[in-house]
Amino acid sequence: MELIIVLLVIVALVVFVVVLYNNLVRLRNAYINAFAQVDVQLKRRHDLIPQLVETVKGYMKHERETLEAVIQARNQAEQIRQAVGNAVGDPKAMAQLGQAEGALGGMLGRLFALSEAYPDLKASANFMQFQEELTSTENRVAYARQAYNDAGMSYNNAVQSVPSNFVASTFGFREVGMLEFEDREAIQQAPKVSFS
Amino acid sequence: MSFVLVALFVVMVALIAGILGTLASIFLVEEQVAQVDELRVVPELAIGVSLVVMAVIFAVSFFKIASLGSDGARVAQSLGAEEVTEDTQNPFKKRYLNIIDEMSIAAGLPRPRAFVVKHEQGINAFAAGGSPEKAAIGVTHGALVKLNREELAGVVAHEMAHIANLDTRLNVRLMGMVFGLVALYTIGRVVLRSAALSRGGSRDNRGAAPMLAIGIAMVVLGSLGVLGGRILQSAVSRKREYLADATGVQFTRNPQGLANALKKIGATAAGSHVENGHAEEARHMFFAQATGSFVGLFSTHPPLDQRIRALDPRFDPKSDPIYTKDDKQILRETRHELVGPWG
Repeated sequence: MELIIVLLVIVALVVFVVVLYNNLVRLRNAYINAFAQVDVQLKRRHDLIPQLVETVKGYMKHERETLEAVIQARNQAEQIRQAVGNAVGDPKAMAQLGQAEGALGGMLGRLFALSEAYPDLKASANFMQFQEELTSTENRVAYARQAYNDAGMSYNNAVQSVPSNFVASTFGFREVGMLEFEDREAIQQAPKVSFS
Repeated sequence: MSFVLVALFVVMVALIAGILGTLASIFLVEEQVAQVDELRVVPELAIGVSLVVMAVIFAVSFFKIASLGSDGARVAQSLGAEEVTEDTQNPFKKRYLNIIDEMSIAAGLPRPRAFVVKHEQGINAFAAGGSPEKAAIGVTHGALVKLNREELAGVVAHEMAHIANLDTRLNVRLMGMVFGLVALYTIGRVVLRSAALSRGGSRDNRGAAPMLAIGIAMVVLGSLGVLGGRILQSAVSRKREYLADATGVQFTRNPQGLANALKKIGATAAGSHVENGHAEEARHMFFAQATGSFVGLFSTHPPLDQRIRALDPRFDPKSDPIYTKDDKQILRETRHELVGPWG
């Protein structure tokens, strides 16, 4: 009789652990999948920038330094994006990516602020098309990032809360890092144009 | 939600069928045994007729739901909408496609097919499809040219919310159910006509009188049923609109875009009106009131100012900068934003 009870308790425990484990796996796959979407949109962003610079080069003759800085920021972000492919969710890698993308966003913000001073450029159909494409890409990145952060938070909640945290630590489920773009303020800031 | 509705519909149909069955048994039996003074209900006949009536109504409903199908693109085409493809050169359409892509990322759903209803000057939009995989979104020409980017994004997000909340599936079911009752009414009219014809042909045809009575009963009950179905449909639709507004804002995280789109509907002469003849049937699928009365039991959408106020509590129709604009100003501004001063 006692043996049966002990056996039943053991079976119940095993089932419980399996359920918790499977839930963690499901949540991990969800954030990995969400990050794949972020990756696609970042790639799109990085592919767009060289074309943009090529387009504005003819008009913005006095901004060579800024254009070079944009390209540099883009190249660095692209390098980090490719490196992160193997370390999805790793807090350090996420912070690095966030910083690089934030810096790139800041450079783009400056570029568009400067473009205000070039009416010919602003009126060109090509540039307006680019503005639409870039706006759309920025939105896609933002929405994809939102989805990744939401999925990451659900996963982190499971990793940190009792009782699944015991299962998580036993089987090596680690917390993931959120993807925050620094330098957001720089994009939001109104462009300062001085005529003096 | 959906379950309660189906239950209500079944009860309504059962009631109608029961009344018809009882009437049929009274009239048909009275005719056969005219010498009996009192009217008698024959239970077997009443139940039999009721079952047949119910079977017909349900069969027609299911057939309609199946033929409307789960394919959103078919519904869009039946509303006269044209698909927008990736290779379009029109900047308005290109932006619209981009926004659909963005919203499908925000909602975490597959990308629905994109449609435009040409020649419609009103600002409106719709979503259709039995499942997110087969969904379609359409906007009117008016919405495309009168809304700016963030406003159009608000509208598309609202439609995406309908798809995410499975309202599009509910809509197809509601349409099918109402159609089943319309069928009862139509059959009733056919019975009436044939009864009237046979009476006119031979004077001593005694079968015509009860047929006439049953025909009248079918027409009356059918139209009452349709009326009830429409009220039900409209009430559900009004509730779901608020939910879709809220879910849509959750996608864009920008209540201002949607609020401004609603304000422009109030500001422009064409408003949200849709001319297409099929719009009547699908009016509960639209972004804002497409046809018919704008207040009361049969309106499919909540009043515009209440929807705006839910998003922008400080809204004042008299002094709002967008609500008080005129059509020309709105068209000029959105055009300027997209194609520049010389475009």
